[in-house]
Amino acid sequence: MASSAIKSGALVSLQDLHSASPFFKQGASLRVTGKLQEYSVETAIAIVIDGSANLKIDTQHLRDLNFRVGSIYQFIGELFIQPDNEAILHARVGRNVDGIDLNLYHQTLRLLREFQSNHMNDQTT
Amino acid sequence: MDTLYNTHAKLLAFDFLSLTQSPSDPTSFLRKGIPLSRAETVGVVTSRDLKPDKFLKFVVDDGTGCIPCILWLNQLKSPYFSRRNPCDVRIIADLAANFASEIKLGVVARVRGRMTAYRGALQITVSDVVVERDPNSEILHWLDCVKLARKCYDVAAQ
Repeated sequence: MASSAIKSGALVSLQDLHSASPFFKQGASLRVTGKLQEYSVETAIAIVIDGSANLKIDTQHLRDLNFRVGSIYQFIGELFIQPDNEAILHARVGRNVDGIDLNLYHQTLRLLREFQSNHMNDQTT
Repeated sequence: MDTLYNTHAKLLAFDFLSLTQSPSDPTSFLRKGIPLSRAETVGVVTSRDLKPDKFLKFVVDDGTGCIPCILWLNQLKSPYFSRRNPCDVRIIADLAANFASEIKLGVVARVRGRMTAYRGALQITVSDVVVERDPNSEILHWLDCVKLARKCYDVAAQ
């Protein structure tokens, strides 16, 4: 069956989004989750953090989203890697996810990857 | 074998998109040989295309893939509904219009409906929409999908 033209945002934790990661690619569609550390109204650039990892988010295309430092947000968008190797996610959609269980979220991401990988292997064998 | 046929199977998008249409019955879609006809998904609405009084097409991204969904809004004009009680048709039309107003970009929606194919692509023809407010609802849906696949859907296929 043919797939939809809209690309799915691959689930990735900020900790896993380092320069050697398979997700760290120009134009990669990703879904990231982190606590809002900074937000500039002038540039619409947000910085989200998860532990020691952080990521810049370009939020210029988002509407009806209030930014509150300290709240947790989830964004889906495309990753752009600048010449200095710094990455910025151009968000298509975003939402406040205050109340999310981040431990459960990270554990579930690992389980999902394992399940998806086993499922793909089953189909190829 | 056919006990899952009328169940809304909770499937991750990558699993849903790998189903194949049954050659003998176009309303049925095969997962590891087991026929299914209905699905439930939970994910972020990442695309929305409204044709007023006709349909709303939208896409649900659950992090493993994107599922195209179509919600029909033509009940008051469609000949398909012309023989049914007008009051019932009005209720169905109002319900569909209410679902359409809830589907906005960025919300997390739980969508149920029939599996259908359009121009070779699998989609959900929507019968039910709930916008989820709990930020953990998607995680719990992923866990449900994995558990059901391992303990129920895969077992039925053996």
